Amino acid sequence: MQNLKVEATKYTPKIHLDTSGFITIVGKSYPENTFEFYTPMMQWLEDYFDGHSAKRTIVNMEIIYFNSSSSKLFFDFFDLLEENFDDNIIDINWIYDEENESAEEAGEDFIEDFESLNIKLVTK
Amino acid sequence: METPENKLIAEIEELKKEFAKTTDKLIKDVKRQDKIMVRSDKRQQKEYDELMALKIEIEETQKEVVFTMGAIGESRSKETGNHVKRVAEYTYLLAKYYGLPEKECELLKQASPMHDIGKVAIPDAVLNKPARFNEEERAIMDTHAQLGYDMLQYSKRTLLKMAATVAYEHHEKWNGTGYPQQLVGEDIHIYGRITALADVFDALGSERVYKPAWDDEKIFKMFKEERGQHFDPKLIDIFFNHLDEFLHIRDTMKDIV
Repeated sequence: MQNLKVEATKYTPKIHLDTSGFITIVGKSYPENTFEFYTPMMQWLEDYFDGHSAKRTIVNMEIIYFNSSSSKLFFDFFDLLEENFDDNIIDINWIYDEENESAEEAGEDFIEDFESLNIKLVTK
Repeated sequence: METPENKLIAEIEELKKEFAKTTDKLIKDVKRQDKIMVRSDKRQQKEYDELMALKIEIEETQKEVVFTMGAIGESRSKETGNHVKRVAEYTYLLAKYYGLPEKECELLKQASPMHDIGKVAIPDAVLNKPARFNEEERAIMDTHAQLGYDMLQYSKRTLLKMAATVAYEHHEKWNGTGYPQQLVGEDIHIYGRITALADVFDALGSERVYKPAWDDEKIFKMFKEERGQHFDPKLIDIFFNHLDEFLHIRDTMKDIV
């Protein structure tokens, strides 16, 4: 299985998916077509959890700003992690800048929605 | 036993499971939709607030920088006290009655205090000379218009561009005898024409170490004589038509002696 690297653009985040267990999404998320944009990532993750996952998976998400369809996508993303939570050790960090209140609140909301995932809020 | 029927049933059972999974997901998605929208709206509102706060911050910073530059210019000129503040108010009134859009009037009010910024580059020996300037010194003093323009001309900011024009053209005269370009009539930018009148009106009415304040009679007489000479006749008419408002500004923003 290959790593997947998507570099950041003005409107989309950097996505680094590493088979050694590092899942990193950093930046803004205003893609023109959100679901199209995230399809490779979601497919990669399905493959990864389908027998290719590392002992420990560390998810670092640092989303500064995002649109509504990205929000929907993140729900799907956390769903996928939840589905695989029992068979894997997954640490999820929602990283935000202290001054970015809306990013902090978004993190808090996801924690509430995905209690079992044990998402951690981490300030930069 | 593996019969075709059993295999079919197993397949259908599998499909049923898949279908149940899909419908579950659909129900979940539908339920989530509202939540996502409510949250996104909330988030967007917050981001909008942040954006507006930043915009105000930028505008306030700009105003402050410009005002401070005006004050620096003032500290290097013989004008004192509230001179630039009054000039700002006069220019606003003149611009308003001349018919410029409100936004432009507001910008000119902020830019006009910078008209003398070029004086920061005039040598002290000339600037602070307690007596009348000789010809050479006068020529040096007069470069402050060009100097002010040179300082500001490269800015891409609307406000500073306006200030550049004001600095450059506030000593031009309607009849073409001003400086530095000897522009005539409406070739002088309206910002320059307006600031010229505002600046002179305030300077004449204020007391200086080298001259007493002129009384109003004398100022008005001079303004009437200079209508179409030093000053844009339209602006002089506006001045006299709204004299009470100009005098009100002068009274409320007097220098503290």
